[in-house]
Amino acid sequence: MGTTAKSRILVACGAALAMSAVFAAEPIKIGISITQSPPGSVVQGTQVKDGVEIVKDMVNKAGGVLGRPIELVYEDDQGIPEKGRAAAEKLITRDKVVAITGGHQSSVCLAAIEVAARYNTPYVNTNCWADAVRAKGYANVFSAPIYSSRVAESVAETLGKLGAKRIVAFAENTDYGIGQAKAIGEALKKMPGVTYRYETLDRAGKDFTPAILPLRADPPDAVLMVMLPPPAYTVMNQLYEQGVAPSAKTWLYDTSGVADYPDFWQNVKEAAVDMLNFALYHPGMKQPPLASEVAQAYKQRTKNEPNRLIFQAADSLLFIVDAIKQAKSTDPAAMVKAMESMKFTGTRGTFTISSKPGNTFHQMMDVPTVTYQITAVGQPIGQTTLIEGPGVPLDVKQLKKPAK
Amino acid sequence: MPGQRVLNIDLFVNGLIMGSFYALMAIGLTLIFGLLRIVNFAHGEFYMIGAYAYTLAALKLGLSVWLGLPVAFAVGGIVGWLTERTLMRPLYAGYASWGLMKDEYAVVVTFALSLLLINLVDKVIGPYAVRGPGLVDIPRIALGPVMLTGHKLIATIVAFAMIIATALFIRYSLWGRQIRAVAQNRLGASLAGIDATKTSSIIFTLSGALAALSGALLAPIINTTPDVGSFPAIKSYVIVVLGGMGSIPGSIVASLLLGVLESFGAVYISYDYRDAFGLAILILVLLLRPQGLFGEKGREV
Repeated sequence: MGTTAKSRILVACGAALAMSAVFAAEPIKIGISITQSPPGSVVQGTQVKDGVEIVKDMVNKAGGVLGRPIELVYEDDQGIPEKGRAAAEKLITRDKVVAITGGHQSSVCLAAIEVAARYNTPYVNTNCWADAVRAKGYANVFSAPIYSSRVAESVAETLGKLGAKRIVAFAENTDYGIGQAKAIGEALKKMPGVTYRYETLDRAGKDFTPAILPLRADPPDAVLMVMLPPPAYTVMNQLYEQGVAPSAKTWLYDTSGVADYPDFWQNVKEAAVDMLNFALYHPGMKQPPLASEVAQAYKQRTKNEPNRLIFQAADSLLFIVDAIKQAKSTDPAAMVKAMESMKFTGTRGTFTISSKPGNTFHQMMDVPTVTYQITAVGQPIGQTTLIEGPGVPLDVKQLKKPAK
Repeated sequence: MPGQRVLNIDLFVNGLIMGSFYALMAIGLTLIFGLLRIVNFAHGEFYMIGAYAYTLAALKLGLSVWLGLPVAFAVGGIVGWLTERTLMRPLYAGYASWGLMKDEYAVVVTFALSLLLINLVDKVIGPYAVRGPGLVDIPRIALGPVMLTGHKLIATIVAFAMIIATALFIRYSLWGRQIRAVAQNRLGASLAGIDATKTSSIIFTLSGALAALSGALLAPIINTTPDVGSFPAIKSYVIVVLGGMGSIPGSIVASLLLGVLESFGAVYISYDYRDAFGLAILILVLLLRPQGLFGEKGREV
């Protein structure tokens, strides 16, 4: 056996010993509260789980944190606020987690942060857009996703460039839907001559035609979708069936990022062509190398294309891991202090954490956004027409409308 | 105003279409709840199973959509039959020593069945929404002032045909007459030589099959998910009581009425209260006509 071979064996043995030392250490438990069974969005819950599992594997493979592996402890919140509250309580008191993340429905986040605040446990919001999550001003709560008033500003800017004056929004009857619809209304108030109203629709509903039919007689310039799947798909199909939008007169503008859901094209076909989309991920946007690593792992794991939820989930867990590293401790107060002062680099870029009270409190600032238009049935996101994104100024001239 | 007239025609036709789908669901529940007086919390899941059976038969097995409908009908029937054989029979087959009241047993066992089916489908098929293929591939057609998909038009015709066929079956067939006899008086029917247990089995089978057919017809419209059945099940209970417990013509009229009322109420009152209209009408009917629209007052000794 040559010297090189011997040294390789020694290195391998050393690495194995180091790894076994890591995994002999007591794991650091991190709580993941997601929807794993109906009536909440199991689709979102599954994607968040995929995102955090990928990061957990990456972190543990690299030796863990402070020499300890991380262990994810899951609780099913079913998308119900009361269950979310109970899940947070169980994770903190029974499982002794050092932090909680994964929340992906605003009403559940709003319930869970009350518990996390009571125990001063760090809570990283993964996908709750409602401004109220930030506006509560809880010292231990941090937000990785975009927030409603920021989405509203972006949507209002695009609508302004499109020259839309009469705008109707369909919003789901949740904290997210109603909060987002109101935020868009506030943003549109700054635009002269614009009339705006929103209609709340029941997420459990199956026939939205009565809400759509009045628009046929008096079509607006734009119909905004503030809904998540599956009812979002049903509304889109019924808007198309009634010839309301997308049409030569009316833009259809999704503000919830539904087009990158894995089941989008199975459920929506012609109804999505010419639709404008506000979104948080486009394969064409510039991302850090870490994003490619996570995207690759996700593709291998699921055979699906990644979407924003994967990256947001990955960033939520990475943020907690970085905070533990910087605090050199799992003490909640030390972690919160580290989180407040961190400059965090994740899969979506490098973020500073805002300490300004209000809608951006403890928010990762400048989350990248994109706007694109779908131009064909079954089109992958990468082939859609990107009209705005990081480094791409808004250009509505590229947009097209249906002939009728 | 011509625009207003067009809107009203649209609302009326859309209400009738939705009402026809409600009716298919509600007839099955009328048979179980109205005739057997059994509260079946899993009725919405029969509907969900029908929607999945139709969609998967067409998309995964490659069957024609026209074969998908009888497949869904048969799967729903089998699930209904199995439910009766395994879970419901203790209600009327001499299990009194269990010490469970009939109603409580049915509520608990069907509620558990409902949760089991939702979670089973969620884990086996997955949480993602699936849209069934349409019976015809016409995304949008205009019938005068009314716009709808080709599938919706055909599905409505099929739904009305099934409603009429079921009403005729209950009225004129031997099994139908047996069902009515058991509904009137289970013991009396047994004394007259009717196998009441077998008749209950027929009722569950038919109920499951009709709910599943309703789900199948709506599969290309509703984007099916495992919990899709809870909403129509609630509507069906409203319809059964509104129409008069056990009255099939009553449940048909109540379904169409509810569909049209919801449609108009959503536009002229408020969309937010759309699902409350049925409950408001139900309270009104129960106050003024407690036996329901088509129910008959009766006395028991």
